[in-house]
Amino acid sequence: MESNFLSLFDVAIDFEQSHLFFPRIVTWVLLIMLFIIVIRERKAILPGLSRAGKAVFSKEGDFDRFRFFGTLALTTAYFYLMYAVGRMFPNTGYGFLLMSMPFIFLLSLLFVGIKTRRNVMIIFANAVIAPGLAWYVLSQLFNITLP
Amino acid sequence: MDFFSQLTPMILLLVFAGTLIGIIFGSIPGMTATMAVAVCLPLTYSLGINGALALLLGLYVGGIAGGMVPAVLLNLPGTPSSICTTFDGHPMAKKGEGEKALKVGIVASLFGGLFSAAILFFLAPVLADFAIKFSYVEKFLIIFLALTVIGSLAKNMLMGIFSGILGVWLSLIGVYPVTVGGNGETRLMFDFMEYYMYSGFSLLPVLIGIFGLSVILLDAEKGLKGDGDGQAIKLTKGSGFSFRDIKGQLVNMIRSSSIGTFVGILPGVGGSTCSILAYTQEKNFSKDSSRMGKGAPQGIIASESSNNALTGGALVPLLSLGIPGDSTTAIMIGAFTLQGIQVGPLFINSNIDTWYMIVTMLVVANLIMFAAMFFAIKYIAKVIEVPKHLLYPIIVMMCVAGAYAINYGIMFDVWVLLIFGVLGYIASKVGIEVVPLIIGFILGRSAEVYFVKSLESFGNFTIFFTKSPIAVVLWVLIIISVAFPIYMRMRSRRGGDAVQSN
Repeated sequence: MESNFLSLFDVAIDFEQSHLFFPRIVTWVLLIMLFIIVIRERKAILPGLSRAGKAVFSKEGDFDRFRFFGTLALTTAYFYLMYAVGRMFPNTGYGFLLMSMPFIFLLSLLFVGIKTRRNVMIIFANAVIAPGLAWYVLSQLFNITLP
Repeated sequence: MDFFSQLTPMILLLVFAGTLIGIIFGSIPGMTATMAVAVCLPLTYSLGINGALALLLGLYVGGIAGGMVPAVLLNLPGTPSSICTTFDGHPMAKKGEGEKALKVGIVASLFGGLFSAAILFFLAPVLADFAIKFSYVEKFLIIFLALTVIGSLAKNMLMGIFSGILGVWLSLIGVYPVTVGGNGETRLMFDFMEYYMYSGFSLLPVLIGIFGLSVILLDAEKGLKGDGDGQAIKLTKGSGFSFRDIKGQLVNMIRSSSIGTFVGILPGVGGSTCSILAYTQEKNFSKDSSRMGKGAPQGIIASESSNNALTGGALVPLLSLGIPGDSTTAIMIGAFTLQGIQVGPLFINSNIDTWYMIVTMLVVANLIMFAAMFFAIKYIAKVIEVPKHLLYPIIVMMCVAGAYAINYGIMFDVWVLLIFGVLGYIASKVGIEVVPLIIGFILGRSAEVYFVKSLESFGNFTIFFTKSPIAVVLWVLIIISVAFPIYMRMRSRRGGDAVQSN
């Protein structure tokens, strides 16, 4: 009797399909938990979404759209261009060096509060020195692969 | 004692550099020890295991200790673990006792750090020896326990567990490797993704994205205004520090350090928890807690000795079980993997010299932290004024270098950095907890192997309950870890109702 009961929990894993066994369980658990969370928080979801929508699309509120999307756009462009330029000079790390300078300059300009002459000069110096130093230390001293 | 010969001036220099950079990172509000470790990771690629660990442990200790500087001077914790330092540190700084507050904190940090290093030295080998006997069944249950503990200690238990499982799910994307007994097939993705994602997401770009890039996105959204209450308080002459200020605080230090070490051992429980726990315990147990919150050194001692004790504690499960105790040690697991070293129950016995080095370097890092901060606190206090608009772009740049070089020049890893940077940002908006997610991500693949192999060899689900007495004990712990917070919440709700009805 007891052995019959235990055999309910018998499991045979087909080796060909074994890569799906655990992911399936995890996916189901994840979906069930998501369902429970959605049910429990159902009253908070719609207002939350509309608040997020308002923050992103309307000009009111504390959400700094210019800096947020500026950061995203600059970072994406930086990653893409670094690779493109790097391919022109393989194994030198020039893509990293040449693209980091304008990236750091522009991102600092985006982030800085007040653009005085002195501030911009410091930002410019920082944008030249920091990537130069990083490139020299990483690729020349430590022999680390850079784009 | 062969390891003494490995303790070269170069290693000591790396610990020193790491500690100093860590203190600077910790001192800047919004930049954490985890970020410091993530950013400096590319430097460790060519250093060898001892050099890499020297730098990383220095960053870890310095980063946590540095968090007290803005906590005292700006009323803003530099790292989450300094949250309770603000309660008494800032009032003291307002009274012109800023230097005294910081030096009390530094002494407490040193005590906490050394205390936890000692616990690490004695506890980790014992735990590892015990864990060596574990079969796949117990190893799976240990991971399961780690995830339930993380989830149940999160702010919202359901979300905490969900985040952990989401991390596991993300880790399973890619191939089921033949090297661990899998069948070499890919899963959880479309065919066209196979070229990029055959081995899934690399751990370090994921970590660097979540702990580096998403922090910057969150700050960019706020317009980088910072959220302190105005100007930093300058360190004036005021009343200096003397060791009388910490007289009679030994019990407090030992209690808080024990709390910090214990919380560190629990996987995924952050530094803010241990700071708060130690602070409230000091409030409950001390003879005179009337001045706490208004500028009492005992509050600073509780918070700072507990958060520095976290460092040694978090290394215990990392080095004995391969389970990171917090987000910084999670990144260290990546650094170990890069050096070709597997952390787990076998680590200490098969790398005995490295093990002694780790403990020695932890002690050295604490001593350097103490020396640097105690005698140069006036200069370190100036660091908190370095503008973020100069630092953040450099951090993005270092993140890219780290992500790109991890697998010797894979551009996809840089895109993973961006993907997880954005994901981390969204996660923090919808209430997904990042630390459980990361720990689930790190442990997910091992969990799969242990789970599937256990079932393949025993062919019955009940094996997870009947394998050994240890398995039964682990199940009891799992049930307690889930039931206890539910019980506590129900009790506090009932208490709240009673107050309302009165």
